[in-house]
Amino acid sequence: MNTRNLVLGALLWLLLLTVPLWVVAAGGYTDLASRVLVIGLAALATNLLVGHSGVMAFGHAAYFGISAYATGLVMKHLVPSTPVGLLAGIVVGTAGGAVIGYLLARLRGIYFALATIAFGQVFFFIAFRWNAVTGGDNGLTFQRLPIDFGLGQLNLTSSTVYYYFVLAVFALCAALMAVLLRSPFGHTLLAMRENERRARFLGIPVNRHLWIAYTVSCLFVSVAGALYGLLNNFVNPHDLHWTQSGDFVLMAVIGGMRSFWGPLLGAAIFVVAQDSLSSITDNWMFYIGLIFVLVVLFLPRGIAGLLQRRTA
Amino acid sequence: MTQLILLNIFNGLVIGAFYALMALGLSLIINLTNVINFAHGGFLAVGAYLAYTLQPYLGFWGALVVSPFLTALLGIVVERVLIRPLYSRDPLYSLLLTFGLAFVIQDSVRMIWGAQGLPVQVPQALQSALSSTLFFLTGYRVFMVVLVAVVVAALFLILKKTRLGMRIRAGTLDLEMVSALGVDVRILRNLNFGLGIFFAGLAGVLAAGMLGLTPTIGDQLIMPSFVAVIVGGLGSLVGTLFGGLLIGVAAGVVTVFFPSASEATIYVMMALVLLFRPYGLFGEEGGTKL
Amino acid sequence: MSLLEVRGVTQRFGELAAVKDVSLSVEPGELHAIIGPNGAGKTTFFNMISGFHQPTAGHIVFDGVDVTAVAANQRVAMGMARTFQITEVFPELTVRQNLGIAVEVAEGQRLKFFATRAQRAATQARVDELLELGALGAHAERHVGELAHGDQRTTEIMMALATRPRLLLLDEPAAGMGTKETFDTAVLIRRLHRKHKLTIVLVEHDMRVIFNLADRITVLSEGEVLDRGTPDEIAASEKVKVAYLGEKREGS
Repeated sequence: MNTRNLVLGALLWLLLLTVPLWVVAAGGYTDLASRVLVIGLAALATNLLVGHSGVMAFGHAAYFGISAYATGLVMKHLVPSTPVGLLAGIVVGTAGGAVIGYLLARLRGIYFALATIAFGQVFFFIAFRWNAVTGGDNGLTFQRLPIDFGLGQLNLTSSTVYYYFVLAVFALCAALMAVLLRSPFGHTLLAMRENERRARFLGIPVNRHLWIAYTVSCLFVSVAGALYGLLNNFVNPHDLHWTQSGDFVLMAVIGGMRSFWGPLLGAAIFVVAQDSLSSITDNWMFYIGLIFVLVVLFLPRGIAGLLQRRTA
Repeated sequence: MTQLILLNIFNGLVIGAFYALMALGLSLIINLTNVINFAHGGFLAVGAYLAYTLQPYLGFWGALVVSPFLTALLGIVVERVLIRPLYSRDPLYSLLLTFGLAFVIQDSVRMIWGAQGLPVQVPQALQSALSSTLFFLTGYRVFMVVLVAVVVAALFLILKKTRLGMRIRAGTLDLEMVSALGVDVRILRNLNFGLGIFFAGLAGVLAAGMLGLTPTIGDQLIMPSFVAVIVGGLGSLVGTLFGGLLIGVAAGVVTVFFPSASEATIYVMMALVLLFRPYGLFGEEGGTKL
Repeated sequence: MSLLEVRGVTQRFGELAAVKDVSLSVEPGELHAIIGPNGAGKTTFFNMISGFHQPTAGHIVFDGVDVTAVAANQRVAMGMARTFQITEVFPELTVRQNLGIAVEVAEGQRLKFFATRAQRAATQARVDELLELGALGAHAERHVGELAHGDQRTTEIMMALATRPRLLLLDEPAAGMGTKETFDTAVLIRRLHRKHKLTIVLVEHDMRVIFNLADRITVLSEGEVLDRGTPDEIAASEKVKVAYLGEKREGS
């Protein structure tokens, strides 16, 4: 890793660690920063498939959402504990991903893309219709709770404390994803993206690796989902809709599919724009859509790609 | 009970006709160019709103005829400017483009015509029921099914008998070959796209009369049309037609017994097809390059 | 025992039979060439051996094991590697990365979520070996897609070798190459055959390459075996001359 990357990295982490100090002055608020990280994690997870494996995953919001619901439901009705809730969310989301991924692994191209949407929508309808459990369109409200360590307490109800909690989880997940992508397994995903036939003829069982990648990607998106539910103390069916899935892909593309941090950058742009523009204009989505179209046409490597080229 | 089932089957047929209309447009575009037009719903909305705007000047019938053509024109411009540059790239990019375009079009519609629902005038002649026993056979619904049937028949005639149609069919099988034979493939793709969008626009005009006119009108119909294409089988227009009608009727029948599950039916059908017969009911293995 | 035995293999596509009841056997250490006029079914036959297609009838036995129904990627694990007529590599990755992936998978690391420094070093050492074997050292850090056609093909062959195959299947290795590149490729193949004792089955059109390298030749025409034998026998064969009549023959 060269000096430039190290310096940029250090700067990035410095910024992230001091957010509560400067975010209000910059016109935002702490929860917004938390949201950027959480959504960014979801985008990074989605990009494991889209950017790194070359797989068109358009239904990831489903696992994002069911994880949030599981977290909320467990905390509300079973065990009023944040760690248990988080764990429940992650397990449910990952399990869902593993099952659906197994079914999808044989499909490719448009069939795969549409299947991810179809399955995602089934989950959406369950969340929407199963009023008794999910609260239907009204959503599910619950409360994130402080974590008791016996000697002390991590007061997660505070926005600032929760932000650092999210940052820690985010950092851990990002590190794991980075290690994964540089590993021999990660290389096989790269191979599948570049030339599936050659990957197969090197001995890679492509369908199985696709399933594993899908499951791992859903694991990280579930973490994001659980954190998201806890952030808002609320989940609603829209969080599972295919347009939300599309948003994750959108962020990955705008930020840069082929770069590791691209999706986080895309998520930052999206979330901040959504927050600041939506109060000014009802049509903020139009501008995002426009940027997206321009990026697809002219900047296939996204903004990260542009920055990489400039300094190369 | 029979009345109820008949009612729902007929309604299912009507909705199925819509799905088929939309899906045929989608299918035409996919078959020739491998482009998955997520923006199809957006064009549907444009068609509906243009008709609304034209109606005071041209009347219901005039708007019905003119709006799809104008929408097709928009489609032609979009294809030329936004989609043509992406043919040489990974299919992911055209998919992403149409996805982003869907948002842009939907929001443009909202910016121009406002977010509220707008009233749609359906001619008196079509409003009343045709029979007192089969009361659900309102003139409008029957008219829609008939119109869709006529338009679909016209499409198949165009494809079989005209030069453009034959080129499109040949191009679906082997675009390079068609190019080698001297046909300008760029114009062919362009016109084919326009033809597909014509269908979306027409579906929009008709849908407004039945579902009401709101900016999200395209959203309701886009996913079922994709399902129709998958169920019927990529590469087969007959399959798409059949697929649309089938899912419409299936959803209709399900409504009788499980009212809240009718929307999910469509997705369950798609999931089943993809798992057990991915090439659809009429598609062939290796039928498309996708 | 033969390393590869193909027994009565047939491939039908609907009404059309691309390959009809073709049998073949390849001894360990042999370089066996498959030739024939265009449309003879060579590529289809080749695809069946490597597992790209399943034969409609017949059996393929590799080192005593019936692999007719075995998936392509598993045949690789059993020791069969192939290259393609249109070079199949990872174009946007560097030569080193291409070979690295091949080596990692071959060494059974494909499911490792984490590689130790020692493992990485071992992988790179093997990659360096392959780079040297293929004389690709100078290009190691370049994207394969940017290389000259011949170097891309060589990279592909080196990737196939990374799997330490017992049988190497080469589909028209000299396709699309000029004289010098063809010569270099032939030299490489000969080295792999003679020095490294690899069993090779090769489909080719270029007669110079065939007659200089092959131990035995099978001639296919219209999906059936027309003749087989040593290069001398085939060169003298009337049947083969007739089949190729009208086709340009380069040297013999």
